[in-house]
Amino acid sequence: MIRIGIPRALLYYQYYPMWKTFFQELGAEVVLSSPTTQTMLSSGASRVVADTCLPVKVFCGHVLSLVKECDYIFIPAIRSVQRRVYNCAKFLGLPDMTKAVIPESPPILDIDIDVNKGKRVLYQAIYKLGRHFTWDPLKVRRASIAAWQAHLNYRELMSSHSLTPPQAIEKMLGSSEVEPKTHSSHSTSTQGTIAIIGHPYLLYDEHINHRLIHRLEQAGNKVLTPEMLTTEELESAIVKLVGRAYWTYEEEVVGAGGHYLESRIGGVIGIMAFGCGPDSLMMDVVRRQAARLNTTPFMSLTLEEHTAEAGVVTRLEAFLDMIYRRKRKQVEVCV
Amino acid sequence: MRIGMPHMGNIFIPFKAMFQRLGVDYIMPPVNNQRTLSLGVKHSPEGLCIPFKLTLGNLIEAAELGADTLLMIGGYGICRLGYYAKVQEQILHDLGYDVEMIQLGVSERKFFGLLKMIKRLSNNAPWTKIVPAIRFGLAKSNALDRIERVVQKVRAVEQVKGTANRLLAKAVKAIDQADDYNTLNKVRMDYIDQINQINKDGQTQPLIVGITGEIYVLLEPFSNLDVESELGKLGVETRRTLFLSEWTKFSFFLNSLGLNEKARIHKAALPYLKRDVGGDGWESVGEKVLYAKEYDGLIHLAPFTCMPEIIAQNIMPATKENIPVLTILCDEQMAKPGMLTRLEAFVDLMEWKRRAQKNH
Repeated sequence: MIRIGIPRALLYYQYYPMWKTFFQELGAEVVLSSPTTQTMLSSGASRVVADTCLPVKVFCGHVLSLVKECDYIFIPAIRSVQRRVYNCAKFLGLPDMTKAVIPESPPILDIDIDVNKGKRVLYQAIYKLGRHFTWDPLKVRRASIAAWQAHLNYRELMSSHSLTPPQAIEKMLGSSEVEPKTHSSHSTSTQGTIAIIGHPYLLYDEHINHRLIHRLEQAGNKVLTPEMLTTEELESAIVKLVGRAYWTYEEEVVGAGGHYLESRIGGVIGIMAFGCGPDSLMMDVVRRQAARLNTTPFMSLTLEEHTAEAGVVTRLEAFLDMIYRRKRKQVEVCV
Repeated sequence: MRIGMPHMGNIFIPFKAMFQRLGVDYIMPPVNNQRTLSLGVKHSPEGLCIPFKLTLGNLIEAAELGADTLLMIGGYGICRLGYYAKVQEQILHDLGYDVEMIQLGVSERKFFGLLKMIKRLSNNAPWTKIVPAIRFGLAKSNALDRIERVVQKVRAVEQVKGTANRLLAKAVKAIDQADDYNTLNKVRMDYIDQINQINKDGQTQPLIVGITGEIYVLLEPFSNLDVESELGKLGVETRRTLFLSEWTKFSFFLNSLGLNEKARIHKAALPYLKRDVGGDGWESVGEKVLYAKEYDGLIHLAPFTCMPEIIAQNIMPATKENIPVLTILCDEQMAKPGMLTRLEAFVDLMEWKRRAQKNH
């Protein structure tokens, strides 16, 4: 059986159930890399030039860990999944870049996704990918329909049950797939409600964000994430802030940020990676909005491979202290 | 309506000529200087590239001088450049400038977009006036680039270093002041002659270095610490892969007719990079492959944190076609001594390589 390697990084969090279903329907075995470790991060970082962004370094680490484990590695080049909204250059160059920096990697299965070119081109691209496994176009068609259904189920599961991507993947595909996840204790006395915004590959990679969600929950906070908002809520916030989405994953930052800043919660934490092109702009839009509204505290955390745990913890504690103090003050004023 | 727009090398000269002919009130911000950079850096998010910071500085300085309508490049499907106008507008508003930003799209329908925008700026001037104005602007841009090509050659071999650059500065001024085609042609021929007559070291065969990378840092000497002149001082002839006049000609006019000057470059890049990654990343890889045999070395200029160029930088070492490449990342922290040291080492390396080839 052909083994397809899928790195647990970048777009894994958005599309894994879809990809897994597609390849399994075509009779392949899917090998997923294990959760990020320091070794992976260092080995990935050693391959690319220094100012490559953190998520791509992590990605390369995952690919390296899969080199001996599979026959192909699946790295799509996703240019656009919405008309006239484009993706970051790094996603487009990912297959070619991986080939260049990891020459020992197994052959890379890539697929060009660009909805601006029309449905026919998209279907042809999918068929071309399927051809690695079968000649039968109908089989590819069945597999892609099943994959799309899996994707819809996954999205539905996240928005209706307020689940994070790792929790939803766990629920859909069984627990063996997912990193040990500490479930929120849901203590009755929540200290505050904190929203964290950013791309899933930063929010849910516990190694690179130093278990941020876990820390917030342990401190007795309710944590909100971008996946818990509906598409309409996200889109209306984007329209309000920048008019029209420019980036494919803009809703995770500008949409969620714009929405949560106006939803009377304790605070908003923006998480971005150092050297991330789109985020450096989008986070600034959110930061400016926070300063203009001046109602909800906002903190942005920039992650990179040198980010030390102690630094993150200190900033987090200071931010939480400020929110608690603010809350106490408001209560006193009311009394 | 008082128009302001950012600088990029000599881009202000064709625009100024065009605006003058159309009677548009154009306010030119000071050419890039330390204050522009400081202003830009102060008000920009830290992770952004030097083109954003410098253009923001230009826009602020234009607004200070009273410009109320600012032109900025925009569009979709390119790198984050398409988002810049939106964010810069917010920054200017937050600083208290009541300005309107007009985006000039460089991605889709750019030819008609450009015409429409000029029509709007010129207060609905008739097309019979707009078209000649654009033509005259392009003619100035052409003249500038033709002189610069000569300067690149002479700079490497002139006896008294700096002569060609001085003449170039004079030529730029004269072209800026030329009012009609006759004067323009005269100025162009005049200066090309003068530059060609500079005393040269007849014997030396200078090293030839290709200069590739991101368009803004290629065309704006302030952002790359004038790397081409520094190479000239070291006796190296530079061949820049991109000139403003050519770029405008193709991306605004000929591309709409289906002509693509980059097809050859893209084809060369294909084995290593199969798709456009925005910006000039694809071209950088292709140019390395193409010029590996022609030049002694390649200087790859990129702004710090430039997304497409990082992809290119990662892929470049993997190509079979080999040529020494020096990547220079441009940002506000870059200092001249550091760059010079790297350039000197690079030139030494190319010289050894050439000598080794000769001895074989």
